[in-house]
Amino acid sequence: MTNERYLIVSYFVCAALAIALGVVVYLTLRRSFAGVAEAAPGKGLPSMLKRLLPCGLVLPALFGFVSVSYQSCDRTTYTEIVASRGYLVAKNQEQISSILLSILVAVLFWNLVGLLILRFANGGRDESKVRQMDD
Amino acid sequence: MILELSAFLVLLAISLAVPTILFLLLRSSLNDLLRHTLRLQAGVTFYLRSFLLVLYLAALSAAIGTSFDLKPDSRFMEYVWKGAEGLSASLERTLWFVAIYLVLITVLVATLKVKDDE
Repeated sequence: MTNERYLIVSYFVCAALAIALGVVVYLTLRRSFAGVAEAAPGKGLPSMLKRLLPCGLVLPALFGFVSVSYQSCDRTTYTEIVASRGYLVAKNQEQISSILLSILVAVLFWNLVGLLILRFANGGRDESKVRQMDD
Repeated sequence: MILELSAFLVLLAISLAVPTILFLLLRSSLNDLLRHTLRLQAGVTFYLRSFLLVLYLAALSAAIGTSFDLKPDSRFMEYVWKGAEGLSASLERTLWFVAIYLVLITVLVATLKVKDDE
């Protein structure tokens, strides 16, 4: 396989991997997050949050993938980039690393969203209890 | 080529072992803490799974990013040093993200505890 063909194949494989990893993480958290989202106050908020979760995991994964540039200080032209197989492999590793890191940040963001939901859901429940007691 | 692949696989194996051991060590106490704090079982599952993901994603993102693109005439110890460099990056990133997760869990426990106390 020539370096150019390797570049084309590995680029699209990494793109597919980004989507697949985003989907796998979404499937891992989907049910438990849906349970947390159900506690959110408001009528449409739970369903909105549940629909946003896949986008909020797959898009960061894609962002991580596209954020890696093949051009660097010592390799600016296409010919220089495809000249070394080692450089292409290192870039693929960098892409996968960036994908995983972006998903990690996204997971922490959704944890924060979960925290806010639980905080305000709890607040709402306590206030209603107080109101019932007052009545 | 074989030495590069072997070094990368060893680094990958250690980077998978560390989060696994950490998760097994902390799982039961984190589970107890979350059960005590959250009334929703889904919340407990969500935060436990997130912890597992945080550990693996942090460790693997650093380990996979380590390039073993050394000169063809490199000696055995050069691969070992490169592996150690990757492991250092992996452990550092794992510790940072576990710290962030712990801050998040502390805020969760503190805010929900305050609400319960009120």
